[in-house]
Amino acid sequence: METNNQAPGTRPEILLLSAVMMLIGALAIVLFFAAVANDEAIQLALNWTTAEDDARPPSLLLIYLERFGIIISVLFILSGAFFITIGWRLRRGNIRVAHWARIGLLWLCIGAASYILLTAFNIINSAAMDREAVDFGQLLSAISPALVVLAIGFLLWTWLNNNIERLFSGEDSLIGRETRLAWNLLIPTLTIFVLVAARPLEQTFIRSLTDKRFAGSAVPQFVGLENYYNLLTFRIDTVTCRKSISDGPCDTRANGSIRWESIDRELLREGYRTIFNVPIGGDQSAAISGLDDDFIEAIFTTVVFTVISVAGELIIGLFMAMVVNSKFRGRGAMRAVMLVPWAIPTVISARLWELMLKDTSAGIFNKILLDLGAIDAPLAWLSDPSLQIPTAIIVDVWKTAPFMALLLLAGLQVIPSDLYEAASVDGASPVRRFFSITLPLLRPAIAIALIFRTLDALRVFDLFNVLFGRQQLSMATYNFETLVSNQLDGYASAISVIIFIFISIFAFIYVRLLQVES
Amino acid sequence: MARKQYARLAQQVLLYGLVLLVAVYALFPFYWAFVTSFKTESEMFKSATYLPREATTKNYEYVFRDNTFIDALKNSAWVSAATSIFALVAGSFAAYALGRLRFKGRVVLLYVVLSMTMFPAISILSGLYTIVRELGFFGTGLSLIVTYPVFTLPFTVWVLTSFFRGLPAEIEQAAIVDGATPFQTFRLILLPLTAPALVTTGLLAFVQSWNEYLFALNFTATNPSAQTVPVAIAQFSGQFSEQEPIAEIMAAAMVVTIPLVVLVLIFQNRIVEGLTAGAVKG
Repeated sequence: METNNQAPGTRPEILLLSAVMMLIGALAIVLFFAAVANDEAIQLALNWTTAEDDARPPSLLLIYLERFGIIISVLFILSGAFFITIGWRLRRGNIRVAHWARIGLLWLCIGAASYILLTAFNIINSAAMDREAVDFGQLLSAISPALVVLAIGFLLWTWLNNNIERLFSGEDSLIGRETRLAWNLLIPTLTIFVLVAARPLEQTFIRSLTDKRFAGSAVPQFVGLENYYNLLTFRIDTVTCRKSISDGPCDTRANGSIRWESIDRELLREGYRTIFNVPIGGDQSAAISGLDDDFIEAIFTTVVFTVISVAGELIIGLFMAMVVNSKFRGRGAMRAVMLVPWAIPTVISARLWELMLKDTSAGIFNKILLDLGAIDAPLAWLSDPSLQIPTAIIVDVWKTAPFMALLLLAGLQVIPSDLYEAASVDGASPVRRFFSITLPLLRPAIAIALIFRTLDALRVFDLFNVLFGRQQLSMATYNFETLVSNQLDGYASAISVIIFIFISIFAFIYVRLLQVES
Repeated sequence: MARKQYARLAQQVLLYGLVLLVAVYALFPFYWAFVTSFKTESEMFKSATYLPREATTKNYEYVFRDNTFIDALKNSAWVSAATSIFALVAGSFAAYALGRLRFKGRVVLLYVVLSMTMFPAISILSGLYTIVRELGFFGTGLSLIVTYPVFTLPFTVWVLTSFFRGLPAEIEQAAIVDGATPFQTFRLILLPLTAPALVTTGLLAFVQSWNEYLFALNFTATNPSAQTVPVAIAQFSGQFSEQEPIAEIMAAAMVVTIPLVVLVLIFQNRIVEGLTAGAVKG
């Protein structure tokens, strides 16, 4: 340390603390790089000799990204840098920096303690699995480095806590205090975010650039944007309709839809498949074809499903909330009853609906409709393609309208009743009261309910998986089928990334439109 | 006078009619599951009846044939309880920061939290699998407690944030004048006020974890003693091979849904109060 440069009032204790902080930071960065260099998979790739194996050599970059990723690396280096910077700036004796140092030390202790618990749990657990006695020597040697870090960190932290006012000077602001508290409080949530959302998603993104296969032993290679190209490429061609008599009318199918010519043979050979035809007048139509027609169709299905079912849930949920909000005997019990559909696990309720919608009179819905004379023959709710999406919507609305109703009920309860009384004294009709009082005041509650329901509906999985299997795909079930049935991990990952981008755009526009974040 | 009474009576009849409509809408499938749980396997293929032709308790006997299902109930209970407690602790911390404290990056962080709901669970399944294995949690309930926050936290944080934001600003100002630190204000003054909201979001998180299937299947299926209820139900095999044990599944559905309904009944007053303040200001 350059002790001659020391600012007025700097004491040796501070310099020691400053040095230790910088050391911790430097150590964190060095240890991270050592871990990378010593990693088994990376070692294996470094020592790869083509002689022992004919397979393509693995890409070192790919292995590094798979094992460590960008997020973890950046976080490690940033925390190291944080400790170094704080340590450096501590020398000036400013109390604000000291407060940040305290936070750093606190989370260092928590991190070391979590590491100790985790390691101990793993050793004890694996001993229990093998029905062996716990090897305490091994346990101790595994956790001793972390114990040392914990001890040093804890000592420094308590010491700093007790002496912070004595050693450091300067003015601490309220905003500064609030900022530090905010970051302290957000760390648990952000840790979870990195661990179970950002990091797994990053791996998915990396795999989307490769030709990795699910549960395969082949070494994956980078393929660039090929997966994305295959997923998203589409083209529009004009085709004419089929005519059995030239100059006559267009041929139609039994259900009245026009039969269009297929696109060019050459295009079919390249892999293009027509998704739908949009008539553009005369006997011509625009044929929209894609390389992966299933995916584009799944997007379309999911969006239709989402828009209609969320709208239905909003209307039925609002209706339920308003009924349950009126005064009557047994209101408390009704609130519990209202939630029953939502409380049944989706895997089970999908089976239940499958049973109720059976395509014979064994299905209660067909039985009721037959008894009422509404239909002549049982309907195939689950296997008739034109009934599948309506069926899914009915089941989803039934299941999630209660969730919507619960959120809206809460909003209804805070609308002061004198507003309604004043309005009815003025002679406003119930309909007018609904549109000029209830709806506007309910807007914030509706906004949150709509955002979470829409994002949920766009990700619908259990329902489509149980009811339709591969017959009718949502975005998420298509993703699942590609991964599990077709074993195309890289391709499935690209689908995930596209779904993520698609839903983010949706969410961003939505949040902006509903103005909830302000 | 008489006319006014008639009008009131008509109104009451209409109201109870609507209540009945909502009840039937919500409960009919549940009733159907209940009836089915007492039907025999062969009756599944005959024309549907509103009551079992011959009621049997065989399906319930199958559910409780050994300890598997009871173990699964216990696993589900502690996993869901731990998940909701974690969601409440982490969620209320984050929500207090996002709803009441002034710092840079607040709006960005709200989006960051929301971004956890923007991909299907299948997208992160293999990534999570690696992480769960590296933590050594594979095949234990801990694997679920670590991964379930991905769907319980965003909702908890957003609802609680809007709740905190709805509380009047004077509360904190008074506390600061009295010399309380921001964290003391949070712990001693704001948190007790949010108790009802905590009950609500905690219950919602509990139900979500109780019902989750995909993660539970992938992370605990290899270890029968760590399975949760949905996984245990999915592994039922029928009395006849090759056939879905639908009546048994419905019996199990009754067993798992009724505790939740009782839970909701106990907490229902709190639930509504809980979300009330949150809805004041989105």
